[in-house]
Amino acid sequence: MRSIKAIFTKQAKDMFRNPMVLVQFIIFPAVALIMTELIAKSNEDIATNMFVTMMAAIFAGMALVTATAGVIAEDKERKSLRFLVMAGVKPHEYLIGTGGFILLAGLIASIAFGLIGVFTGIEFARFLTVMIMAAAASIILGAAIGIVSKNQQAATALAMPIAVILGFAPMIASFNETVAKAAGILYTQQLNVIVNDFSANFTKAITVIGINIAVLIILFVLAYQKKGLRG
Amino acid sequence: MIQMNNIVKRFGAQTVLTDVTFKVKEKEIFGMLGPSGAGKTTIINILTNQLEADGGNYSIGASPFETGLMLDEDGLYIRLNCLENLNVFADIYGIPREKSVAAIKSVGLFDAAKKTVNTLSKGMRQRLALARAILHEPKILFLDEPTGGLDPATARGIHKLILDLCANGATVFLTTHNMEEAVKLCDKVALLHKGKIVEQGSPAEICERHNAIKTVPDLESVFIKLTGVELE
Repeated sequence: MRSIKAIFTKQAKDMFRNPMVLVQFIIFPAVALIMTELIAKSNEDIATNMFVTMMAAIFAGMALVTATAGVIAEDKERKSLRFLVMAGVKPHEYLIGTGGFILLAGLIASIAFGLIGVFTGIEFARFLTVMIMAAAASIILGAAIGIVSKNQQAATALAMPIAVILGFAPMIASFNETVAKAAGILYTQQLNVIVNDFSANFTKAITVIGINIAVLIILFVLAYQKKGLRG
Repeated sequence: MIQMNNIVKRFGAQTVLTDVTFKVKEKEIFGMLGPSGAGKTTIINILTNQLEADGGNYSIGASPFETGLMLDEDGLYIRLNCLENLNVFADIYGIPREKSVAAIKSVGLFDAAKKTVNTLSKGMRQRLALARAILHEPKILFLDEPTGGLDPATARGIHKLILDLCANGATVFLTTHNMEEAVKLCDKVALLHKGKIVEQGSPAEICERHNAIKTVPDLESVFIKLTGVELE
Protein backbone atom coordinates (compact mmCIF):
# COMPACT_ATOMS: atom_id res chain seq x y z
CA MET A 1 0.00 0.00 0.00
CA ARG A 2 2.90 2.32 0.87
CA SER A 3 4.44 1.83 -2.57
CA ILE A 4 1.12 2.29 -4.36
CA LYS A 5 0.58 5.59 -2.53
CA ALA A 6 4.12 6.76 -3.33
CA ILE A 7 3.76 5.93 -7.02
CA PHE A 8 0.26 7.42 -7.18
CA THR A 9 1.60 10.69 -5.70
CA LYS A 10 4.58 10.66 -8.04
CA GLN A 11 2.29 10.09 -11.01
CA ALA A 12 0.04 12.98 -9.97
CA LYS A 13 2.96 15.42 -9.69
CA ASP A 14 4.54 14.16 -12.89
CA MET A 15 1.35 14.36 -14.95
CA PHE A 16 0.53 17.92 -13.91
CA ARG A 17 3.98 18.93 -15.21
CA ASN A 18 3.72 16.94 -18.42
CA PRO A 19 1.70 19.01 -20.89
CA MET A 20 1.80 16.25 -23.52
CA VAL A 21 -0.22 13.95 -21.25
CA LEU A 22 -2.21 16.56 -19.36
CA VAL A 23 -3.60 18.11 -22.52
CA GLN A 24 -5.27 14.82 -23.46
CA PHE A 25 -7.42 15.01 -20.33
CA ILE A 26 -8.48 18.56 -21.05
CA ILE A 27 -8.80 18.79 -24.81
CA PHE A 28 -11.62 16.25 -25.33
CA PRO A 29 -14.03 17.67 -22.72
CA ALA A 30 -13.08 21.18 -23.92
CA VAL A 31 -13.88 20.32 -27.56
CA ALA A 32 -17.15 18.67 -26.46
CA LEU A 33 -18.10 21.83 -24.54
CA ILE A 34 -17.23 24.19 -27.37
CA MET A 35 -19.00 22.15 -30.05
CA THR A 36 -22.06 21.59 -27.87
CA GLU A 37 -22.37 25.28 -27.10
CA LEU A 38 -21.55 26.59 -30.57
CA ILE A 39 -23.10 23.95 -32.84
CA ALA A 40 -25.39 21.44 -31.13
CA LYS A 41 -27.42 23.88 -29.04
CA SER A 42 -28.10 26.17 -31.99
CA ASN A 43 -28.93 23.44 -34.49
CA GLU A 44 -32.18 21.53 -34.10
CA ASP A 45 -31.09 18.76 -36.49
CA ILE A 46 -28.25 17.74 -34.20
CA ALA A 47 -28.81 15.90 -30.93
CA THR A 48 -27.73 18.12 -28.03
CA ASN A 49 -25.40 15.45 -26.68
CA MET A 50 -23.94 14.39 -30.01
CA PHE A 51 -20.54 15.91 -29.40
CA VAL A 52 -20.42 14.74 -25.78
CA THR A 53 -21.10 11.17 -26.96
CA MET A 54 -18.53 11.40 -29.73
CA MET A 55 -15.79 13.00 -27.64
CA ALA A 56 -16.36 10.74 -24.63
CA ALA A 57 -15.87 7.63 -26.80
CA ILE A 58 -12.79 9.12 -28.48
CA PHE A 59 -11.41 10.14 -25.06
CA ALA A 60 -11.97 6.73 -23.51
CA GLY A 61 -10.58 4.88 -26.51
CA MET A 62 -7.68 7.12 -27.39
CA ALA A 63 -6.44 9.39 -24.62
CA LEU A 64 -6.31 6.81 -21.88
CA VAL A 65 -4.59 4.18 -24.05
CA THR A 66 -1.89 6.53 -25.30
CA ALA A 67 -1.39 8.21 -21.90
CA THR A 68 -0.93 4.91 -20.03
CA ALA A 69 1.30 3.41 -22.72
CA GLY A 70 3.40 6.59 -22.79
CA VAL A 71 3.86 6.80 -19.02
CA ILE A 72 4.96 3.16 -18.66
CA ALA A 73 7.18 3.26 -21.74
CA GLU A 74 8.85 6.42 -20.44
CA ASP A 75 9.57 4.80 -17.07
CA LYS A 76 11.07 1.82 -18.90
CA GLU A 77 13.08 3.94 -21.32
CA ARG A 78 14.56 6.12 -18.58
CA LYS A 79 15.24 3.05 -16.42
CA SER A 80 13.20 4.53 -13.57
CA LEU A 81 11.36 1.23 -13.30
CA ARG A 82 14.58 -0.61 -12.47
CA PHE A 83 15.08 1.53 -9.41
CA LEU A 84 11.50 1.03 -8.29
CA VAL A 85 11.83 -2.75 -8.63
CA MET A 86 15.17 -2.61 -6.80
CA ALA A 87 13.47 -0.65 -4.00
CA GLY A 88 11.08 -3.55 -3.57
CA VAL A 89 8.09 -2.24 -5.55
CA LYS A 90 6.03 -5.16 -6.85
CA PRO A 91 4.83 -4.99 -10.46
CA HIS A 92 1.16 -4.87 -9.43
CA GLU A 93 1.91 -2.02 -7.02
CA TYR A 94 3.53 -0.02 -9.80
CA LEU A 95 0.67 -0.67 -12.19
CA ILE A 96 -2.04 0.10 -9.61
CA GLY A 97 -0.25 3.30 -8.56
CA THR A 98 0.27 4.50 -12.11
CA GLY A 99 -3.02 3.24 -13.57
CA GLY A 100 -4.91 4.38 -10.48
CA PHE A 101 -4.02 7.99 -11.01
CA ILE A 102 -4.79 7.84 -14.71
CA LEU A 103 -8.16 6.29 -13.82
CA LEU A 104 -8.82 9.11 -11.36
CA ALA A 105 -7.93 11.68 -14.01
CA GLY A 106 -10.22 9.79 -16.43
CA LEU A 107 -13.02 9.91 -13.84
CA ILE A 108 -12.64 13.67 -13.44
CA ALA A 109 -12.78 14.11 -17.23
CA SER A 110 -15.85 11.81 -17.34
CA ILE A 111 -17.61 13.93 -14.74
CA ALA A 112 -16.81 16.95 -16.91
CA PHE A 113 -18.39 15.17 -19.92
CA GLY A 114 -21.42 14.33 -17.80
CA LEU A 115 -21.84 17.93 -16.72
CA ILE A 116 -21.50 19.18 -20.31
CA GLY A 117 -24.12 16.62 -21.36
CA VAL A 118 -26.34 17.77 -18.48
CA PHE A 119 -26.95 14.14 -17.51
CA THR A 120 -28.90 13.68 -14.33
CA GLY A 121 -29.88 10.87 -11.98
CA ILE A 122 -29.81 7.39 -13.49
CA GLU A 123 -28.40 8.72 -16.78
CA PHE A 124 -25.42 10.20 -14.99
CA ALA A 125 -24.88 7.00 -13.01
CA ARG A 126 -25.04 4.85 -16.15
CA PHE A 127 -22.76 7.24 -18.00
CA LEU A 128 -20.14 7.18 -15.25
CA THR A 129 -20.37 3.39 -14.93
CA VAL A 130 -19.67 2.75 -18.61
CA MET A 131 -17.03 5.49 -18.73
CA ILE A 132 -15.14 4.07 -15.75
CA MET A 133 -15.33 0.54 -17.16
CA ALA A 134 -14.16 1.77 -20.57
CA ALA A 135 -11.38 3.78 -18.90
CA ALA A 136 -10.25 0.69 -17.00
CA ALA A 137 -10.20 -1.31 -20.26
CA SER A 138 -8.14 1.40 -21.97
CA ILE A 139 -5.69 1.63 -19.07
CA ILE A 140 -5.12 -2.14 -19.10
CA LEU A 141 -4.60 -2.03 -22.88
CA GLY A 142 -2.26 0.95 -22.54
CA ALA A 143 -0.29 -0.85 -19.83
CA ALA A 144 0.15 -3.89 -22.08
CA ILE A 145 1.38 -1.64 -24.90
CA GLY A 146 3.73 0.21 -22.53
CA ILE A 147 5.19 -3.08 -21.32
CA VAL A 148 5.93 -4.50 -24.76
CA SER A 149 7.38 -1.21 -26.02
CA LYS A 150 11.07 -0.44 -25.67
CA ASN A 151 10.59 3.31 -25.55
CA GLN A 152 7.99 6.06 -25.83
CA GLN A 153 8.35 6.32 -29.59
CA ALA A 154 7.63 2.62 -30.03
CA ALA A 155 4.71 2.88 -27.59
CA THR A 156 3.17 5.75 -29.54
CA ALA A 157 3.66 3.93 -32.84
CA LEU A 158 1.87 0.88 -31.46
CA ALA A 159 -0.80 2.66 -29.41
CA MET A 160 -1.91 5.20 -31.95
CA PRO A 161 -3.46 2.92 -34.63
CA ILE A 162 -5.18 0.83 -31.94
CA ALA A 163 -6.43 3.96 -30.21
CA VAL A 164 -7.69 5.43 -33.49
CA ILE A 165 -9.70 2.26 -34.20
CA LEU A 166 -11.13 2.23 -30.68
CA GLY A 167 -11.84 5.94 -30.61
CA PHE A 168 -13.28 6.40 -34.07
CA ALA A 169 -15.11 3.09 -34.59
CA PRO A 170 -18.25 4.39 -32.82
CA MET A 171 -18.32 7.49 -35.03
CA ILE A 172 -17.95 5.45 -38.23
CA ALA A 173 -20.50 2.96 -36.89
CA SER A 174 -23.09 5.71 -36.70
CA PHE A 175 -22.88 6.08 -40.50
CA ASN A 176 -22.56 2.40 -41.47
CA GLU A 177 -24.61 -0.51 -40.18
CA THR A 178 -22.07 -3.19 -41.08
CA VAL A 179 -19.39 -1.32 -39.16
CA ALA A 180 -21.86 -0.86 -36.30
CA LYS A 181 -22.40 -4.64 -36.09
CA ALA A 182 -18.68 -5.40 -36.20
CA ALA A 183 -17.83 -2.63 -33.75
CA GLY A 184 -20.40 -4.01 -31.31
CA ILE A 185 -17.70 -6.17 -29.75
CA LEU A 186 -15.65 -3.09 -28.81
CA TYR A 187 -16.05 -1.43 -25.43
CA THR A 188 -16.00 2.01 -26.99
CA GLN A 189 -18.97 1.13 -29.21
CA GLN A 190 -20.92 -0.12 -26.18
CA LEU A 191 -20.08 3.12 -24.40
CA ASN A 192 -21.38 4.99 -27.42
CA VAL A 193 -24.59 2.93 -27.53
CA ILE A 194 -25.42 3.70 -23.90
CA VAL A 195 -24.54 7.38 -24.03
CA ASN A 196 -26.57 7.83 -27.22
CA ASP A 197 -29.61 6.15 -25.72
CA PHE A 198 -29.77 5.61 -21.98
CA SER A 199 -32.75 3.29 -22.41
CA ALA A 200 -30.61 0.86 -24.47
CA ASN A 201 -29.75 -2.56 -23.02
CA PHE A 202 -27.43 -1.54 -20.18
CA THR A 203 -26.79 -5.10 -18.99
CA LYS A 204 -25.65 -6.14 -22.45
CA ALA A 205 -23.36 -3.12 -22.69
CA ILE A 206 -21.61 -3.68 -19.37
CA THR A 207 -21.34 -7.41 -20.10
CA VAL A 208 -19.57 -6.71 -23.41
CA ILE A 209 -17.30 -4.15 -21.71
CA GLY A 210 -16.62 -6.69 -18.94
CA ILE A 211 -15.64 -9.30 -21.54
CA ASN A 212 -13.37 -6.71 -23.17
CA ILE A 213 -11.71 -6.09 -19.80
CA ALA A 214 -11.23 -9.85 -19.25
CA VAL A 215 -9.66 -10.28 -22.69
CA LEU A 216 -7.40 -7.27 -22.14
CA ILE A 217 -6.29 -8.62 -18.75
CA ILE A 218 -5.25 -11.86 -20.49
CA LEU A 219 -3.41 -9.81 -23.13
CA PHE A 220 -1.73 -7.82 -20.37
CA VAL A 221 -0.63 -10.97 -18.50
CA LEU A 222 0.84 -12.39 -21.71
CA ALA A 223 2.68 -9.11 -22.37
CA TYR A 224 3.96 -9.05 -18.81
CA GLN A 225 5.13 -12.66 -18.95
CA LYS A 226 7.01 -11.92 -22.16
CA LYS A 227 8.59 -8.61 -21.26
CA GLY A 228 8.17 -7.92 -17.54
CA LEU A 229 8.63 -4.46 -16.13
CA ARG A 230 12.39 -4.11 -16.21
CA GLY A 231 13.68 -1.41 -18.47
CA MET B 1 29.40 -9.85 2.26
CA ILE B 2 29.31 -10.58 -1.48
CA GLN B 3 30.51 -13.77 -3.07
CA MET B 4 30.41 -14.94 -6.65
CA ASN B 5 31.49 -18.44 -7.63
CA ASN B 6 32.16 -19.50 -11.21
CA ILE B 7 29.47 -17.27 -12.67
CA VAL B 8 28.79 -17.77 -16.36
CA LYS B 9 26.51 -15.55 -18.42
CA ARG B 10 25.62 -15.87 -22.06
CA PHE B 11 23.62 -13.63 -24.35
CA GLY B 12 22.62 -15.93 -27.19
CA ALA B 13 25.76 -17.55 -28.56
CA GLN B 14 28.03 -14.97 -26.94
CA THR B 15 29.55 -15.76 -23.55
CA VAL B 16 29.95 -12.48 -21.68
CA LEU B 17 31.10 -13.83 -18.30
CA THR B 18 33.27 -16.89 -17.80
CA ASP B 19 33.91 -18.44 -14.37
CA VAL B 20 33.78 -15.14 -12.53
CA THR B 21 34.77 -15.73 -8.91
CA PHE B 22 35.47 -13.13 -6.22
CA LYS B 23 34.69 -12.27 -2.64
CA VAL B 24 33.98 -8.89 -1.05
CA LYS B 25 34.39 -8.48 2.69
CA GLU B 26 32.21 -6.34 4.90
CA LYS B 27 33.05 -2.59 4.89
CA GLU B 28 35.36 -3.08 1.94
CA ILE B 29 35.44 -1.04 -1.27
CA PHE B 30 35.76 -3.51 -4.09
CA GLY B 31 36.44 -2.32 -7.62
CA MET B 32 35.62 -4.26 -10.77
CA LEU B 33 37.97 -2.82 -13.39
CA GLY B 34 37.85 -3.21 -17.10
CA PRO B 35 37.16 -1.47 -20.38
CA SER B 36 33.68 -0.94 -21.78
CA GLY B 37 32.12 -4.23 -22.77
CA ALA B 38 34.23 -6.29 -20.37
CA GLY B 39 31.13 -7.44 -18.46
CA LYS B 40 31.24 -5.16 -15.40
CA THR B 41 27.63 -3.99 -15.62
CA THR B 42 26.47 -7.55 -16.27
CA ILE B 43 28.01 -8.55 -12.93
CA ILE B 44 26.10 -5.76 -11.16
CA ASN B 45 22.92 -6.77 -12.96
CA ILE B 46 23.33 -10.34 -11.76
CA LEU B 47 24.15 -9.30 -8.19
CA THR B 48 21.09 -7.04 -8.08
CA ASN B 49 18.77 -9.73 -9.50
CA GLN B 50 18.20 -7.92 -12.74
CA LEU B 51 19.72 -10.74 -14.75
CA GLU B 52 19.92 -14.47 -14.18
CA ALA B 53 23.28 -16.19 -14.45
CA ASP B 54 23.56 -19.24 -16.69
CA GLY B 55 25.96 -20.99 -14.35
CA GLY B 56 27.65 -20.71 -10.97
CA ASN B 57 26.22 -19.16 -7.84
CA TYR B 58 26.44 -16.04 -5.74
CA SER B 59 25.39 -14.79 -2.35
CA ILE B 60 24.86 -11.36 -0.80
CA GLY B 61 24.78 -10.67 2.91
CA ALA B 62 21.96 -8.15 2.65
CA SER B 63 18.33 -8.12 1.57
CA PRO B 64 17.31 -6.12 -1.52
CA PHE B 65 16.01 -3.43 0.85
CA GLU B 66 19.50 -3.17 2.35
CA THR B 67 21.21 -2.53 -0.96
CA GLY B 68 21.60 0.73 -2.85
CA LEU B 69 22.13 1.04 -6.57
CA MET B 70 23.57 3.69 -8.84
CA LEU B 71 23.71 2.94 -12.55
CA ASP B 72 25.13 4.80 -15.51
CA GLU B 73 21.52 5.59 -16.48
CA ASP B 74 20.18 7.48 -13.49
CA GLY B 75 16.45 6.71 -13.88
CA LEU B 76 15.47 9.99 -12.25
CA TYR B 77 12.04 11.53 -12.78
CA ILE B 78 12.94 14.49 -14.94
CA ARG B 79 9.85 16.59 -14.25
CA LEU B 80 10.13 16.26 -10.47
CA ASN B 81 12.60 18.26 -8.44
CA CYS B 82 15.54 16.76 -6.56
CA LEU B 83 13.76 16.50 -3.24
CA GLU B 84 10.60 15.07 -4.79
CA ASN B 85 12.67 12.39 -6.51
CA LEU B 86 14.13 11.32 -3.18
CA ASN B 87 10.76 11.57 -1.42
CA VAL B 88 9.25 9.03 -3.82
CA PHE B 89 11.80 6.51 -2.58
CA ALA B 90 11.61 7.63 1.05
CA ASP B 91 7.88 6.90 0.89
CA ILE B 92 8.47 3.52 -0.75
CA TYR B 93 11.04 2.55 1.90
CA GLY B 94 8.76 3.88 4.62
CA ILE B 95 11.44 6.13 6.07
CA PRO B 96 10.91 9.72 7.21
CA ARG B 97 11.19 12.36 4.50
CA GLU B 98 13.81 14.13 6.62
CA LYS B 99 16.19 11.45 5.36
CA SER B 100 15.75 12.88 1.86
CA VAL B 101 16.96 16.24 3.11
CA ALA B 102 19.91 14.60 4.86
CA ALA B 103 20.82 12.64 1.71
CA ILE B 104 20.57 15.69 -0.50
CA LYS B 105 22.79 17.64 1.91
CA SER B 106 25.35 14.86 2.00
CA VAL B 107 25.85 15.05 -1.78
CA GLY B 108 26.04 18.85 -1.71
CA LEU B 109 22.81 19.45 -3.59
CA PHE B 110 20.79 21.18 -0.91
CA ASP B 111 20.81 24.50 -2.77
CA ALA B 112 19.39 22.74 -5.83
CA ALA B 113 16.78 20.76 -3.89
CA LYS B 114 13.87 22.52 -5.59
CA LYS B 115 15.34 22.39 -9.09
CA THR B 116 13.69 20.02 -11.52
CA VAL B 117 15.95 17.21 -12.70
CA ASN B 118 15.84 18.24 -16.36
CA THR B 119 17.58 21.51 -15.45
CA LEU B 120 20.50 19.81 -13.68
CA SER B 121 23.99 19.22 -15.09
CA LYS B 122 25.24 15.67 -15.54
CA GLY B 123 27.38 15.93 -12.41
CA MET B 124 24.42 17.11 -10.34
CA ARG B 125 22.28 14.26 -11.64
CA GLN B 126 25.02 11.78 -10.73
CA ARG B 127 25.12 13.20 -7.22
CA LEU B 128 21.35 13.03 -6.95
CA ALA B 129 21.43 9.41 -8.14
CA LEU B 130 24.01 8.71 -5.42
CA ALA B 131 21.78 10.43 -2.85
CA ARG B 132 18.94 8.13 -3.88
CA ALA B 133 21.23 5.10 -3.55
CA ILE B 134 22.27 6.03 0.00
CA LEU B 135 18.90 7.40 1.13
CA HIS B 136 17.94 4.31 3.16
CA GLU B 137 21.48 3.80 4.52
CA PRO B 138 22.07 0.51 2.72
CA LYS B 139 24.53 -2.11 3.88
CA ILE B 140 25.79 -2.66 0.34
CA LEU B 141 26.15 -0.09 -2.39
CA PHE B 142 26.47 -1.03 -6.05
CA LEU B 143 27.92 1.81 -8.08
CA ASP B 144 28.25 1.42 -11.83
CA GLU B 145 30.81 3.91 -13.15
CA PRO B 146 29.97 6.43 -10.42
CA THR B 147 32.18 9.16 -11.84
CA GLY B 148 31.90 8.38 -15.54
CA GLY B 149 31.96 11.56 -17.60
CA LEU B 150 32.28 13.88 -14.61
CA ASP B 151 34.69 16.77 -14.18
CA PRO B 152 37.51 16.18 -11.65
CA ALA B 153 36.00 18.38 -8.92
CA THR B 154 32.68 16.54 -8.97
CA ALA B 155 34.48 13.20 -9.20
CA ARG B 156 36.53 14.11 -6.13
CA GLY B 157 33.34 14.96 -4.26
CA ILE B 158 31.87 11.58 -5.11
CA HIS B 159 35.12 9.83 -4.11
CA LYS B 160 34.94 11.51 -0.72
CA LEU B 161 31.34 10.44 -0.30
CA ILE B 162 32.16 6.84 -1.15
CA LEU B 163 35.02 6.80 1.37
CA ASP B 164 32.74 8.36 4.03
CA LEU B 165 30.04 5.78 3.38
CA CYS B 166 32.53 2.98 3.75
CA ALA B 167 33.89 4.52 6.95
CA ASN B 168 30.30 4.53 8.24
CA GLY B 169 29.98 0.79 7.68
CA ALA B 170 28.80 0.34 4.09
CA THR B 171 30.28 -2.22 1.75
CA VAL B 172 30.85 -0.76 -1.71
CA PHE B 173 31.02 -2.63 -5.00
CA LEU B 174 31.92 -0.32 -7.84
CA THR B 175 32.81 -0.67 -11.47
CA THR B 176 35.17 1.65 -13.25
CA HIS B 177 37.55 1.82 -16.16
CA ASN B 178 39.51 4.54 -14.40
CA MET B 179 42.60 2.89 -12.86
CA GLU B 180 43.56 5.99 -10.94
CA GLU B 181 40.14 6.04 -9.30
CA ALA B 182 40.45 2.38 -8.40
CA VAL B 183 43.85 2.88 -6.77
CA LYS B 184 42.51 5.84 -4.83
CA LEU B 185 39.33 4.20 -3.56
CA CYS B 186 39.48 0.45 -3.54
CA ASP B 187 40.71 -1.96 -0.89
CA LYS B 188 40.49 -4.77 -3.43
CA VAL B 189 40.09 -4.83 -7.18
CA ALA B 190 39.49 -7.41 -9.86
CA LEU B 191 40.66 -6.85 -13.41
CA LEU B 192 38.06 -8.01 -15.89
CA HIS B 193 38.90 -8.67 -19.51
CA LYS B 194 36.40 -10.09 -22.00
CA GLY B 195 34.29 -11.52 -19.20
CA LYS B 196 37.15 -13.17 -17.33
CA ILE B 197 38.87 -12.02 -14.17
CA VAL B 198 42.54 -11.90 -15.06
CA GLU B 199 43.84 -10.67 -11.70
CA GLN B 200 42.55 -9.69 -8.28
CA GLY B 201 43.82 -8.44 -4.94
CA SER B 202 44.67 -5.09 -3.41
CA PRO B 203 45.97 -2.52 -5.93
CA ALA B 204 49.38 -2.52 -4.21
CA GLU B 205 49.63 -6.32 -4.27
CA ILE B 206 48.68 -6.49 -7.92
CA CYS B 207 51.17 -3.80 -8.90
CA GLU B 208 53.89 -5.47 -6.85
CA ARG B 209 53.17 -8.82 -8.46
CA HIS B 210 53.57 -7.23 -11.86
CA ASN B 211 56.45 -4.88 -10.98
CA ALA B 212 54.29 -1.89 -11.72
CA ILE B 213 54.88 0.26 -8.65
CA LYS B 214 55.44 3.80 -9.76
CA THR B 215 54.33 7.30 -8.96
CA VAL B 216 51.17 8.01 -10.85
CA PRO B 217 51.16 11.49 -12.36
CA ASP B 218 48.32 13.31 -10.70
CA LEU B 219 47.59 16.41 -12.77
CA GLU B 220 44.56 17.25 -10.72
CA SER B 221 46.67 17.68 -7.58
CA VAL B 222 49.20 19.78 -9.49
CA PHE B 223 46.43 22.04 -10.74
CA ILE B 224 44.96 22.45 -7.27
CA LYS B 225 48.42 23.03 -5.76
CA LEU B 226 49.30 25.70 -8.32
CA THR B 227 45.96 27.48 -8.45
CA GLY B 228 44.38 26.77 -5.10
CA VAL B 229 41.08 25.99 -6.81
CA GLU B 230 39.48 22.81 -8.05
CA LEU B 231 38.66 22.25 -11.70
CA GLU B 232 35.00 23.18 -12.29
